Amino acid sequence: MSDYVSLQNLTLAYGKTIAVEGLNLGIAKGELITLLGPSGCGKTTTMRAIAGLLTPKSGKISIDGRDVTRLAPSKREVGLVFQSYALFPHLSVFENVAFGLRLRREADLDAKVMAGLETVGLTDFASRQPADLSGGQQQRVSLARSLVMQPKVLLLDEPLSNLDARLRLEMRSELQRVQKDTGITMVFVTHDQSEALALADRIVLMRDGAIEQIGNPEDLYNAPVSGFAADFMGFETILPNDTGPGGLAWRPGAVQIGTGPHSGQIRGASFAGEHWEYVLASPLGDIKVDVPKGQERFEIGQQVAFDLPRSAAVPLARVD
Amino acid sequence: MNNRLSTWLILGLTLTFLIGPFLIIIAAALSAGNNLAFPPQGLSLKWFIKVFETDSFRASFGVSMFLAIGGTFCALCLGVPAAYAMTRFKVPGAEMVKMIVSSPIIVPGIIVGLALLRYFVIPLGVGIGPALFLAHTALVLPYAVRVVSASMENLRADMEEAALLLGCTRFGAFRRIVLPNIRGGILAAFILGFVTSFNQVPVSLFLSGPGLRTLPIDMIAYMEINYDPSVAALSALLAFMSIGIIFAAERFIGLSRYV
Repeated sequence: MSDYVSLQNLTLAYGKTIAVEGLNLGIAKGELITLLGPSGCGKTTTMRAIAGLLTPKSGKISIDGRDVTRLAPSKREVGLVFQSYALFPHLSVFENVAFGLRLRREADLDAKVMAGLETVGLTDFASRQPADLSGGQQQRVSLARSLVMQPKVLLLDEPLSNLDARLRLEMRSELQRVQKDTGITMVFVTHDQSEALALADRIVLMRDGAIEQIGNPEDLYNAPVSGFAADFMGFETILPNDTGPGGLAWRPGAVQIGTGPHSGQIRGASFAGEHWEYVLASPLGDIKVDVPKGQERFEIGQQVAFDLPRSAAVPLARVD
Repeated sequence: MNNRLSTWLILGLTLTFLIGPFLIIIAAALSAGNNLAFPPQGLSLKWFIKVFETDSFRASFGVSMFLAIGGTFCALCLGVPAAYAMTRFKVPGAEMVKMIVSSPIIVPGIIVGLALLRYFVIPLGVGIGPALFLAHTALVLPYAVRVVSASMENLRADMEEAALLLGCTRFGAFRRIVLPNIRGGILAAFILGFVTSFNQVPVSLFLSGPGLRTLPIDMIAYMEINYDPSVAALSALLAFMSIGIIFAAERFIGLSRYV
């Protein structure tokens, strides 16, 4: 397959500290990829390298068949939406969106800027200053500012993490809509697994500067390869496989409580609407259990039996 | 009630202490008599007119203006890039540079002036004019670096990165994004530098010679020979100029936010 964006054997470093080593990744045209991982895993570093804000120590980056490894950011036709929005505070919303187009001396500037603002639903705000806008609106301006340039790749660096929960969901569906409308190739950096699962065509899970697992959201959710991946995908109980190599993982909902060969003490109980969440202290470690509402209730301090059913476990290639 | 009275008393005394001399100078300048005296003998504007008719005042005013504007401009040309480099990049020894740059405000002016004369002007045969210009540039540099750094620190680096990705060169991003956002700081530094340079006495004292004097030095020289109220009139005019500049600066850029 020919990749639209390709990272080949990419090694990235800050001074002597290696942040990403030997990374290979191909992204298809029109695909929405999320780079997912905890802070320090190299996801933002990788994104900055694609943008040209960081020169690779070795390896190659190409976009649309062109080697851009040594190319200045301004020549790459790449857009970047920052976590902090990074709007220009001395320019109006209109001028922020027009900034790149003006540098290119494009014709029909007004129409293009207004079309960009319309995409994000902010046509009425063209003459406002960035400081007068809410966080969500500022992020939309930032998105429009990148989109009007019609970049080959749009990079988004944790664009939703400064927004409150409701706005985050709103912006999430907005991004999906924009991607569907424009068919633009997107690389979305996040540490939030639910965001990655909801948005991505493919998730690239990163760990310590390397790729841990690549796959579509269902693959990652249902079949994590390692304990690390499983932990990121919401498996709370991860144990070595006692009958073979690798490990086994259970989600809190897969653990049976009330009967079973193991025993533990309830240490925590919290109500989460549709279910109760319990934390059990047991010889196997802390076990998290979800019990649907309406079933038997347990009190803190109570000793209970529990089971980790083999049938509900997901096998892992590695426990760590 | 008693408390309130003492507050007003302290406030009144402080204001008298700060503004009193200025009022006395204005009164003395308005005197119709021939000697610098308070209370004034009669009222007239003739000493204000005399200021404008005195050739040496006109010449030294020009010198001082040139030094204050030119020197501050040069200091900003050096100081703005320096402040940018020190806040934006992890330059090794940036703190050291900041300290060296600040040394002209730490070291007493008398010593700076004497050192420049003894170890720069005399052995190297540098003219008084260029030496004076260099000295004023150096004296203003600390303000330029400090005030501009302060306003640069509020500016996030990712704005420049955004500009780069939208097609700017590094220099273009500096010009289009950084400069407009630190304009207030630059203007504040310019005003501080201008006032500092214009009122500078000790360094200029050593670097003045026949035909080349700054206004404050010329005023001292004038007073050694003449003791008429024209110096008071000139002082009052200069004070009004400073007040005007500071007032305009506060009105248009909110100077007090920067200093």
